[in-house]
Amino acid sequence: MALVRTLAVIPHLVRMFVRTKLEYPGALVLSWVSQAVSYGSMYTAIALIVARFGTLGGWSWSEIALLLSFHLLAYSTGASFSFTQFRVMEDLVRQGTMDALLVKPISTWTYLVFSGFNIGYAGHVALAIGLMGWALTQVEVTWSFPLALYFIATLVSGAMVVCALMTMIGATAMVFVRSRHLYSIFFGFWELARYPITIFPLPIQVLLLTAVPLGFISTVPVSVILGKPVPMLGDFAGLACVLAGPAMAGLAMLHWRWCLRNYQGAGG
Amino acid sequence: MSAIIEVSGVAKTFRQPKRLPGLGGAIRSLFSRDYTEVRAVQDVSFAIAPGEAVGYLGPNGAGKSTMIKMMTGILVPTAGSLSVLGREPHAHRMTNAAEIGVVFGQRSQLWWDLPVRDSFDLHRHIYEVPEARFADNLAFLTTMLGMADYLDRPVRQLSLGQRMRAEIAMALLHDPKILFLDEPTIGLDVVAKDAVRKFLAQINRERGTTIILTTHDLQDIEEICPRLIMVDDGKLLFDGELPRLRAALGSRRRLRLEFGSDPGPITLTTARLVTDDGAAKHFLLDAEDTSILDVLTELGSGYDLKDVTLEEPAIEEVIRTFYQSKPQRAAEAL
Repeated sequence: MALVRTLAVIPHLVRMFVRTKLEYPGALVLSWVSQAVSYGSMYTAIALIVARFGTLGGWSWSEIALLLSFHLLAYSTGASFSFTQFRVMEDLVRQGTMDALLVKPISTWTYLVFSGFNIGYAGHVALAIGLMGWALTQVEVTWSFPLALYFIATLVSGAMVVCALMTMIGATAMVFVRSRHLYSIFFGFWELARYPITIFPLPIQVLLLTAVPLGFISTVPVSVILGKPVPMLGDFAGLACVLAGPAMAGLAMLHWRWCLRNYQGAGG
Repeated sequence: MSAIIEVSGVAKTFRQPKRLPGLGGAIRSLFSRDYTEVRAVQDVSFAIAPGEAVGYLGPNGAGKSTMIKMMTGILVPTAGSLSVLGREPHAHRMTNAAEIGVVFGQRSQLWWDLPVRDSFDLHRHIYEVPEARFADNLAFLTTMLGMADYLDRPVRQLSLGQRMRAEIAMALLHDPKILFLDEPTIGLDVVAKDAVRKFLAQINRERGTTIILTTHDLQDIEEICPRLIMVDDGKLLFDGELPRLRAALGSRRRLRLEFGSDPGPITLTTARLVTDDGAAKHFLLDAEDTSILDVLTELGSGYDLKDVTLEEPAIEEVIRTFYQSKPQRAAEAL
């Protein structure tokens, strides 16, 4: 009953958030443009480095462009459901606003996620799709229907990894009140995940495939699609890409529930 | 009538890190973290029947908000049992939420940048209120709370009083059986407070909505809640009606005698003189069973008495007296 009610409310929550954003249309357009320019200049810098050395860890510029676009699309899709929403969790807890969310007859996670569904990531998505479109015409991939499905599944899985990690960081604020510093760790590894993980020392490779599994939003799926070897995972890499998202989502759900049970508020 | 809320031996303990003084202490606490247990609620028991209006009163840190949070399912009790509408609130938080309304005086549930009407509309979908019922409730609440002028204005443009009225209206749109209010009149001006109090009393009286409110403002209790639960240090000090509290404290009523001219000093055994303004004299009646007749009989007929006024002690005085004497009184009053 609560699940049906929750699902039925989602379109209304998104509509409310979009209306809120459209109250300040100038700011919205400016954020889209600034994001696209920021990422565009960063990718240009990477392109220049690769052009200077020919390849990076055995990856050509067009392959890296596919990796970058995959990384950005998976990230922006996952983050549009989670980043701005969970970044403010410690404020919600500290100011007591979280209490007001907990007395609604629908899932608190769903309310948080969809009442803040961030259309501000449209700039990221547009840039990622454009770059991906170009990169796919440059790399050698023998497309088939199952491979196309697999490509989409790994993108969704990557987005789920991002959303799950953001959820876990945000949920931690329910118990420890402050958790925003954990985003620095997330974005540290997120930046590393823009490059093929094979260029990093083994401990970082291990971390990117386990504790902070952002390798699954870039190197691992793109390597599988391009037929490149994946360190440590080998033949299991293909399946691991599809399973990483649901597995992290399950873990995030358990963590969320644990934090909810141990929520103390911030006093008052 | 069976209770709608049953609280039995409920306790809530928070674990908080010990804060050591100074920079050195802060650095040391990074390596060895000691915790203290803060007992916010201790062995509290009470029951509330449908249709009651109960004021939950206590000083800052007394455990009022913690108890509201446990009853609404936000916090899990550390010990004891708690039942709201026949369910454990924390175990059935969402089901419980569908049948209650909650207003937090200092936390808005309205969408800041959108018109009030939009928040109400979302509320309708969240609580699955049938359209016709929603329209009736909205019309009733808009009239009762005088919201017609600002229903289509963004929340950010409303005054605190207007916003609080909108918060209360939203909490009632789905016909909740119980309305929890955590300091609903905090920060409001006199006119807004009066409007909120009158409305809540009316909703309780006419719709039979059970009301539980925490407050620092004793006027809220006097105007809305016949029953009072007083807490301090997490413990229940008093549970009953205000007149019973007055009686338990030995109602120190004030008697004012006004004479045509100054009759000179007057000494009575039934009343204690506290202020002598010449023609007007103020007495305190310490004994509960002393009546005006007793005083006038003792006074006799030899005075040019013009007027007699008997005043019940103000609620502030009653509460202050209670807290000042709580170690002795608590056991007697319960």
